[in-house]
Amino acid sequence: MLGLIKKDLLMIKGNMRQVMLFLIVFLILALQENNIIVIVPVFVSMMVFITTFSYDEYNKWDAYAITLPISRKDIVKSKYITSVILWLIALLVTVVIVGIMGIFEQNIDYFEMFGMILGCALSIVLLEAVMFPLIFKFGVEKGRIGLFVGVFAIAALLGFVFTGIDLENTNGFIELFNKYYYVLIPLVAIILLVISYFVSKRIYLKKEF
Amino acid sequence: MNKTIEIKNLIKRYDSNFQLGELSLDIPSGEIIGLIGENGAGKTTLIKSILGILQVNKGEIKIFGNDTIKNAAKIKEDIGVVLDNTFFPEILNAKDIDSIMKSIYQSWDSKLYYDYLKNFDIPVDSIIKKLSKGMRKKLEIATALAHHPKLLVLDEPTSGLDPVVRNEVLDIFLKFIEDDEHTILFSTHITSDLEHIADEIIFIDDGKVLLNKSRDDILDNYGILKCNLDEFAKIDKSDYIAYKKNKYSYDILVSDRNKVSKKYKNMVVDKITLEDLMVLMIKGDKTC
Repeated sequence: MLGLIKKDLLMIKGNMRQVMLFLIVFLILALQENNIIVIVPVFVSMMVFITTFSYDEYNKWDAYAITLPISRKDIVKSKYITSVILWLIALLVTVVIVGIMGIFEQNIDYFEMFGMILGCALSIVLLEAVMFPLIFKFGVEKGRIGLFVGVFAIAALLGFVFTGIDLENTNGFIELFNKYYYVLIPLVAIILLVISYFVSKRIYLKKEF
Repeated sequence: MNKTIEIKNLIKRYDSNFQLGELSLDIPSGEIIGLIGENGAGKTTLIKSILGILQVNKGEIKIFGNDTIKNAAKIKEDIGVVLDNTFFPEILNAKDIDSIMKSIYQSWDSKLYYDYLKNFDIPVDSIIKKLSKGMRKKLEIATALAHHPKLLVLDEPTSGLDPVVRNEVLDIFLKFIEDDEHTILFSTHITSDLEHIADEIIFIDDGKVLLNKSRDDILDNYGILKCNLDEFAKIDKSDYIAYKKNKYSYDILVSDRNKVSKKYKNMVVDKITLEDLMVLMIKGDKTC
């Protein structure tokens, strides 16, 4: 499995120039608004990771991978682990960027920033957790379309649910969230990814190439 | 005789009407087995079923005496594979492959791998995308050999290669088979390759095994009898397997060249090539 993780990381290394270009362009675009900058690295990490699926698909890597002494389960698992590694690297980059911003700007509310970073990171995990099973099932192109549909559906559903809830009564929940978000957010992220992994594994075990 | 691959009652169905099998096959150890058949006959389906890339509907496949589903990882440690259009993502280079495979095969031999690359003149730093088709194939072969496999499974390993590279590649396979424990399963539609190196020929058509014989048996005994319409009428139906009607003549496939040429003394029976055999058996009219 280590070999598979290595493979994805080497592929990204091979594409490093594009990765940096992506990152810089998005950072410049985000510069006008200090807060939005914190989503850029995690977002780029996701985009870059998706390209590994595209290359795999284009060169029919999966059929080859199955002939190696690796189980199908580990092929799926390695993708999830790689995505988490990239996600952690992206978080580190974000912290560095925020640190640099702090040199030039005095009035940064680091506590608020920390919450923002966690929130953005979670939103990317949520996207990935929905997208990976779709990619394993339908391939990258169709998986992306499925993602858009999925995100809109979830957003619509959540909107529907929240308008139905009397916000007065949820103050307790919001308070609880505000107090423990730094535990709750990573916890939710891990649970989502684990569920997503089991769904993907189920799909992949039956797949033919 | 030891068997490297044992296939029992295999059936693989597709949504389209194609079905492979039901077929049973034994692949003996220490030989080069050539798998021939037209496009869409089921060669790749058979290979992918053996390797577990496809999931079969029925049947049992054993490699080195172990069930391919229960002992997959253990078996695959000893198999080297070259598939058609299926390999590492093209933005990786030969060095990357070494570094990845080191963590995948217990018996990966970096030195051997780099020796092959050197012999094949493959640049280690260029990404796969920039290699020529021949180079790429040779890289795939080097990768398949560098963990000291006992079984090589090759799907069209020579297609698209020029004659010089093709001969080079065939020589590598011949060298590999010098070890008695080594086995090669080799699918191709370039049948002349197999006339040089195969010990046994398995001929598949429409998902069924049409012929499973040693190469020598086929090339020494089978023959092609060319005759005109009058002569054709005189030949016993039991003496031939298939025939094809040309504009002015008949090509007749016989399974015992010597017997037939003795019986019909004024007719000429030629030796056969695998290509003739394939064309006659697929396109010709069969007697039985």
